Amino acid sequence: MSLLLIAAVAGAGATAGWLGSLLGIGGGVFLVPLLNAGLGFDFRVAAATGLMTVIATSSAVSANTAGRNLINLRLGMVLEVASAFGGLIAGYTVERLTKHTLSLIFAIVTAAIAALMVTRLDKRNVLAADVDPGPLGGRFHDDDTGREITYQVKRLPLGMVASLLAGAVSGTLGIGGGILKVPILNAWCGVPMRAAAATSALMIGVTAAASAPQYYARGEINPPIAAAAVLGVMLGSRFGLWFSGRTRVKWLKMLMAVVLAAVSILYFRRALS
Amino acid sequence: MTGERPESRATLDGLDRLEARLGHLLRTGVMSAAACLGIGLIAWMVAEGPLSRAILTIGLVILMVTPLLRVIVSLVAYARMRDWFFVTTTVLVFVMLLLAWLLRP
Repeated sequence: MSLLLIAAVAGAGATAGWLGSLLGIGGGVFLVPLLNAGLGFDFRVAAATGLMTVIATSSAVSANTAGRNLINLRLGMVLEVASAFGGLIAGYTVERLTKHTLSLIFAIVTAAIAALMVTRLDKRNVLAADVDPGPLGGRFHDDDTGREITYQVKRLPLGMVASLLAGAVSGTLGIGGGILKVPILNAWCGVPMRAAAATSALMIGVTAAASAPQYYARGEINPPIAAAAVLGVMLGSRFGLWFSGRTRVKWLKMLMAVVLAAVSILYFRRALS
Repeated sequence: MTGERPESRATLDGLDRLEARLGHLLRTGVMSAAACLGIGLIAWMVAEGPLSRAILTIGLVILMVTPLLRVIVSLVAYARMRDWFFVTTTVLVFVMLLLAWLLRP
């Protein structure tokens, strides 16, 4: 393994982390194709590396968000029962999937993420009226409006199903899967956007930790490669956060949706070949 | 679902303290993992061998175990609050994370 390859992996990690934090989605969906299609790693090695960066991103982001009441710890733990179960099952069954099946699943998921990014370009907080938060709801201070926001969680079973699917996708493809459940929590379960994003960021760490040990046991985590990717993603996302305050991300979201659509087509072709 | 109403002061304070504690835990976990991975990677580039491999492995294991520790700390906090619904929930998550290490194909 050459130093050049290590540098390329770190560069891929930095790019993915930068894009991920700028767009408010995890960088995994960019990192996995960069490692697999770009640098030629086996899909499962790329996914295993992606999972390690997902855990690092989850811990780093949640450490920074903690203390602002945005993370709904109790809702997160309930949903983690479903997402960790999905991750555990996926980590266990992924080795039975062929490369073609994995490519097909990845193609479908990237197409879905691209579509979600375009349709949710202008989503802001859904501001709930003052309500009794109930056992799973929460309240936090919204810096944008200066108001105290209280919300109640609705349609919990739907949130559980979304978390189960996001967990299974995460464990199969090595991405965080936050963008698959945040819109559902926000649109149908009554969780304001920022609380949904913060809770999801905490959840993806536990979800990835339910499948990563199985990749590790199969020898699919290559230590120097994983280290380079994790450090790259951490540096890249720090840079992205520092940037996101001063750039308009709308055009970037459009551009990246196009890139993801292209990635999706690439993987559809791989699945069919 | 739970015996105690969530807006009671004691529960809210308990959750605030838990959130702050988890924040510290996650920061410590990810920073010590990153330090091991950085040192290990440099050691690996200088001389590939058992030492560099061990440092890298320690870093990766710290990274993977941090979410598990987060769940254990939450479990203790909910037990102290006597919030049995969330104790049960947290135990379920804990068991699944443990199975991830123990289940072998």
